Amino acid sequence: MNQSLARIALAGTLILGLSGCEQDKPTSYLIPKEERNVTMPVPAADPAKDGLSDTAVASAPGTMQVLPGMQAAADEAGEIAYTVPAGWEEIPPSGIRKANLKVADENGSAELTVLVFPGDVGGNLANINRWRGQVALEPITADKLPEITENYTIAAHRGLYVRLEGGAQSILGALLPFHGSTWFFKFQGDSGTILANEDAFKAYLDSVQMVDHQH
Amino acid sequence: MHLIFQFFSSLRLTVFLLGFSIVLVFFGTLDQVQYGIWHTQEMYFESFFVVWAFPAHAPGGDFLHWVRVPMPGGYTLGSMLLMNLVTAHFVRFKLTWTKSGIFMIHIGLMLLIVAELVTDLTAVESQMPVDEGGRSNFSQSYQDNELVFINRSHPDHDQVHAIPASLMKPGQTLDVPDTDFSIRTINIYPNAEIGRAKGTTVTNTPATQGAAVRMGIVISPLPKSFADDEINTETAYVEVFKRGESLGIWLVSNVLDERFPPQMVEADGKEWELAMRFQRQYYPFEVELIDFKHDRYPGTDVPHNFSSEVMVRHQDDNKTQKALIYMNHPLRYEGLTFYQASFANQDKTSIFLIVRNPGWILPYISVLLMGLGMCVQFGMHFVKFLKKRR
Repeated sequence: MNQSLARIALAGTLILGLSGCEQDKPTSYLIPKEERNVTMPVPAADPAKDGLSDTAVASAPGTMQVLPGMQAAADEAGEIAYTVPAGWEEIPPSGIRKANLKVADENGSAELTVLVFPGDVGGNLANINRWRGQVALEPITADKLPEITENYTIAAHRGLYVRLEGGAQSILGALLPFHGSTWFFKFQGDSGTILANEDAFKAYLDSVQMVDHQH
Repeated sequence: MHLIFQFFSSLRLTVFLLGFSIVLVFFGTLDQVQYGIWHTQEMYFESFFVVWAFPAHAPGGDFLHWVRVPMPGGYTLGSMLLMNLVTAHFVRFKLTWTKSGIFMIHIGLMLLIVAELVTDLTAVESQMPVDEGGRSNFSQSYQDNELVFINRSHPDHDQVHAIPASLMKPGQTLDVPDTDFSIRTINIYPNAEIGRAKGTTVTNTPATQGAAVRMGIVISPLPKSFADDEINTETAYVEVFKRGESLGIWLVSNVLDERFPPQMVEADGKEWELAMRFQRQYYPFEVELIDFKHDRYPGTDVPHNFSSEVMVRHQDDNKTQKALIYMNHPLRYEGLTFYQASFANQDKTSIFLIVRNPGWILPYISVLLMGLGMCVQFGMHFVKFLKKRR
């Protein structure tokens, strides 16, 4: 009786040990539709180390860090009025976003965001290159800028319209210097959706009205 | 046979094993400084044998770096202690009422050793960061990576095909499950520094497709970091084949995460997202972070409370639940335990530690048994003593 119990204990331990040798296996599974805007944050102590030793390739789309003062400046800049294109979804503006619209079709989805910052935020070239990085395009030099931009009037002021066609993703954007601030209208998403909705984006820009105390 | 039982049931063996346990814990603690908690646990406690080497950078390291101390590892000591206890118990002790307390204590102790083994073999820890106002339905491994092909073409769901990075060996070809793809690992690095090549031409990269080519990325391998707050940038060059035909070589790395445009593999008119990322576990529920509080003592920066108010929404509606997670007050839900582990993004993101430990209740039962056993045994002695005094 004692011997068999001891044997059982030995065998049990061995079985438990061997079952732990289950190696990882390749798997395949279904998940609910995901939006790709999750970033893996680094714990509070360290600033983000993204491992890229040269200047960062892209700023995080949709998850920009809100620095002190940004929210206050955005609040001061005032609200805008606009017409939502047919079939687009409007999301209430939040934080420093003055407008947030989404559209989806058989080619994918796209999102329009409107932000405003004091000053010129580094200038048109820097901002367009930042957007280029977000759709995996190489940065360009100032002399090439006129080739991809055109003047565009928004809220009766002159802005700059840019079309950036990346591979999978594209951006249609407009930069509007407006009495000491710069407004960024960025329409980013899957290339098919973006290009199919370019007219709707332009119609949106034409509909934008801004509070103007100075004219 | 009789000699074996004599050996295993001897008290001398118990003393030796306990002595070795002290030695193991001592050297393991010393090594934790340079190897971090995960690796030390693997080396010392999840092994049968371990050799401690005098660290070269410790004082006296110049003279003593040759010193080696071999010792039995955690599995050896644990299994021998268990066999020792079991054989001693069943060979020597007789089943009588007066010894019932001792039986309970011993059974409790045996259960504790087994419980530790069960936890070691089955428990899984992962982390889930959630933004305030955001939701998450998956958690990520701290250490393990996976190569994934994601098919997002279906309107209702995405399909993920995952290969654990631990299976990827240089030169080896693996099939991607449920697809016509296979991958050949050109090279894989547990940690690497990734940067852009200076200048316009990129030399020295095997990659022919994807972000490496587009952004001119070159890598330099680094030794694996054991520091608890550093991330190992798992990186690999993989060649992707569709039904035996090569589509090119991509650089994949867990640093190329959602901040960057996804790398796509095109075949048969369809696109798959290709990425290396920390291994994910998806759940049939979403955790929404309603509010994260980081309370400090007034007038100071000293924290006195971290708490996360969450709403857990299950696909099955009657399992939806609201909870407050804070220090020493985890959420136990669906066999998982959610602990408040960390936070980020200036208190806008809360990070939970999720533990799945099927054997979590065993240590509680064992401690209960041991406590009761002691009460019974000492109670009986006490009663006997009282009776004698009259």
